[in-house]
Amino acid sequence: MQILINLANGIRSWLEGMGLSAASAEVIMSAVGALAVVIFILTHVIILILAERRVAAFIQIRKGPNRLGPLGIGQVIADVVKTLSKEDIIPAAADKFVFKIASTTLFATALLTFAVIPFSKGMVIQDLNIGIFYFIAMASTGTLSILMAGWASNNKYALIGGMRAVAQMISYEIPMVFSILGVVMLTGSLKMSDIVLAQKNMWFIVPQFIAFVVYYVAATAELNRAPFDLAEGEQELIAGYFIEYSGIRWALFMMAEYASMVAASAIATTLFLGGWLAPFGLDTIFGVTIPGFVWFMIKLYFMLFTFLWVRWTFPRLRVDHLMHFGWKFLIPVSLANILVTGIGIYVYQRIIS
Amino acid sequence: MLKTQELTLNMGPVHPSTHGVYRCVLNLDGEYIQNAVNHIGYLHRGLEKLAESRTYTQFIPYTDRLDYCSGLSNELAYVMAVEKLMGIEEEIPERAQYLRVILAELQRLGSHGIFLGSFALDVAGATGYFYIFRERDRVLELITRVGGNRLTPNFMRIGGVRNDLGEDFFTELKDLMDSFEPAFEEYNGLLTGNEIFQSRTKGISVVSKEMAMDYGFNGPNLRSVGVDYDLRRDEPYLVYDRMQFDVPVTHNGDLFDRFVIRLKEMEQSVRIIKQAMKEIPEGPVMAKVPKVIKPPVGEAFHRIENAKGHLGFHLVSDGSTKPYRNKIYAPTFVMLSAFPEMAKGTHIMDAVLILASIDIVLGEVDR
Amino acid sequence: MFGQGLIKGLSITLKNMFGPKITEEYPEQRPNLPPAFKGSFDLKVPKCIACGLCANACPNKVIKIESEKDENNKKKLTGYTMKTERCLYCGFCVETCPTKALLWNHNFELAKYFRDDVNLDLFSSYVPSPEDEKPAKPEETD
Repeated sequence: MQILINLANGIRSWLEGMGLSAASAEVIMSAVGALAVVIFILTHVIILILAERRVAAFIQIRKGPNRLGPLGIGQVIADVVKTLSKEDIIPAAADKFVFKIASTTLFATALLTFAVIPFSKGMVIQDLNIGIFYFIAMASTGTLSILMAGWASNNKYALIGGMRAVAQMISYEIPMVFSILGVVMLTGSLKMSDIVLAQKNMWFIVPQFIAFVVYYVAATAELNRAPFDLAEGEQELIAGYFIEYSGIRWALFMMAEYASMVAASAIATTLFLGGWLAPFGLDTIFGVTIPGFVWFMIKLYFMLFTFLWVRWTFPRLRVDHLMHFGWKFLIPVSLANILVTGIGIYVYQRIIS
Repeated sequence: MLKTQELTLNMGPVHPSTHGVYRCVLNLDGEYIQNAVNHIGYLHRGLEKLAESRTYTQFIPYTDRLDYCSGLSNELAYVMAVEKLMGIEEEIPERAQYLRVILAELQRLGSHGIFLGSFALDVAGATGYFYIFRERDRVLELITRVGGNRLTPNFMRIGGVRNDLGEDFFTELKDLMDSFEPAFEEYNGLLTGNEIFQSRTKGISVVSKEMAMDYGFNGPNLRSVGVDYDLRRDEPYLVYDRMQFDVPVTHNGDLFDRFVIRLKEMEQSVRIIKQAMKEIPEGPVMAKVPKVIKPPVGEAFHRIENAKGHLGFHLVSDGSTKPYRNKIYAPTFVMLSAFPEMAKGTHIMDAVLILASIDIVLGEVDR
Repeated sequence: MFGQGLIKGLSITLKNMFGPKITEEYPEQRPNLPPAFKGSFDLKVPKCIACGLCANACPNKVIKIESEKDENNKKKLTGYTMKTERCLYCGFCVETCPTKALLWNHNFELAKYFRDDVNLDLFSSYVPSPEDEKPAKPEETD
């Protein structure tokens, strides 16, 4: 969205005009950008909590929360107030320090992934040249927080949940990275904006459809979303690693889950669905220029909806089946995809030259 | 020094998937169950003792509280036991018998609905639960129309049923039976045909024919291991011998079979109800029984094919208005005893499903 | 092929997502209760002959009847309390009532703030209505 970028440039020049050095103006601008992204995430977390409840209700032939405000929007406020005002219970036998920081670190890692996501042309906090690598690194750090929560709770259910989470997230990291590798091979860059611009003619979902499916499955597992929500395992582990949490600490786990869901959808949009680019070159419809941000949001919400849709349709996999699926199916498939992509690129280059 | 150690996990009595207040202590090696110990009795209300201080008629509403998912069939089993004790089985009017068959099958649909729904919930497919409960709720609405309550209708009487059912009940019933056909397709599409569901259930906790016989399995669980035994056909009571229906039998004895057999039984129940609706004669619904029921000295045992298995009542009369002893043979209580053996060596996620597949209702287990 | 069932499941959920909803928006939308519904109790006091059949029929001894004999040596009701906290809602009392004085009503919202409020005092809470004043005709006496 050009307006926002112009606004940012305006503030920057205003700050410099106030007598600040260019470097300190840059620092302040980064802070403002980060704040904007944090607000963006929190808004989406709130929207998603409501959306999850409504979509689940519609799929389950119910109406869902519709009492407070139009479409039940007020329900969000009620939820937030309720979780904030709940008592913060820390079990007597818990490892108190680890217990307290676990939820915060999980949410922090979820937030950090947003640093490299390009919402539109130029709308990115830090367009790192190893952007996708940074995303993977940050996303996998979340595993540690979940293990911390599971261990520190000093509860057998939480421990089993934490252990499951580690096993699952580490093994699904690999196919996820491999599936992303196919896209990186096509673009030859780890930079997010380069990846988006490389999709000008064709979205990568077409040549890399298998990679997209693998990424989608692996991302669902990474997010601990159903049908891979083994760490939570409502039926046998009740709530898994956050069984002992309450109040705002519990809410942080939920927020982290939704924030990482937004992040994973944003990455899927960027890598496979052409990011902020309009489909079929439809930059203007009926003479109205639709900003890239809007396209990005439409694609993002489509991805988010599929996450919700899948969650409320499928039963949960068993732990060993999940491991088999990850190691014996997804990894070979993603490796084969890399091989095929490599051959394809080689053949293409030969034809060109 | 590093060492491994068994983990003792206490599952229940407050746990989301123990189907009530059941508790079991699991010894886990990693997440695999080495040993499971049943602990029951959290819902014990002393119903058998209560029966000794209630008259024969007054105990009917208590039977609703046994297996609270199938109130009407529990009443039927008890009422028929009393009729056997009094020796008036032959005097029950035709229409009452047909009504009893219709209501018992309706209740079976409701009870199997609970089974399928909660099984879907235990494999974490919450959506299947709601689809199945949509039909089950209509069954319950019909039962409300009959008995006034959703779960505890108290409609069967010694010698017949409480009152005749009008034409509007039958039109509603026919409407409901027609809506089951597309509903079954939806259940099959969402659950039975789903690959994840199949991988969760196929080949898990296989019960052999011998083991099932040794533990005294009955009902759908017995038929799922390949024993073709259904009281409705093999020891016919009421007018079941006039009905055309198949007894579904499967042969693997795993979780998937125990799920599928109930779906198939629901289809047969719909078939029986449709026939009974067609054939039901006009006439009285109550036999001539004395106001105060005083069966002769003696004892009687009667069992019926309840939704969960053979529900039997053993009544001992001393000639007074109250039974001397009322022993309840509860099917799920018997089958729950097999849970430790069925669960041994399985994953903790399967244990939840195995418990669900037995179809326990703690009201009946603890009585 | 692996995945066929998964896609079918997704199509079913998507179809139902846009299909009709079955939620009953309860406080505004009242449930459609059948005539046989067992809610709470109503006692038409003028019709009651204080015969005590209901109290006898009750499995849990919920009903307590107080009566006195008037000048014609006829029983007259002076108190009718139900300890509803023990009630099974089986309906034997309503069924045995020879004069149809005890009836079910459709009031199912029986939750109360205090335990004692659950119990019913049908005699003193009776609101007279002209329809009930028709002479009671016992169908049969025991």
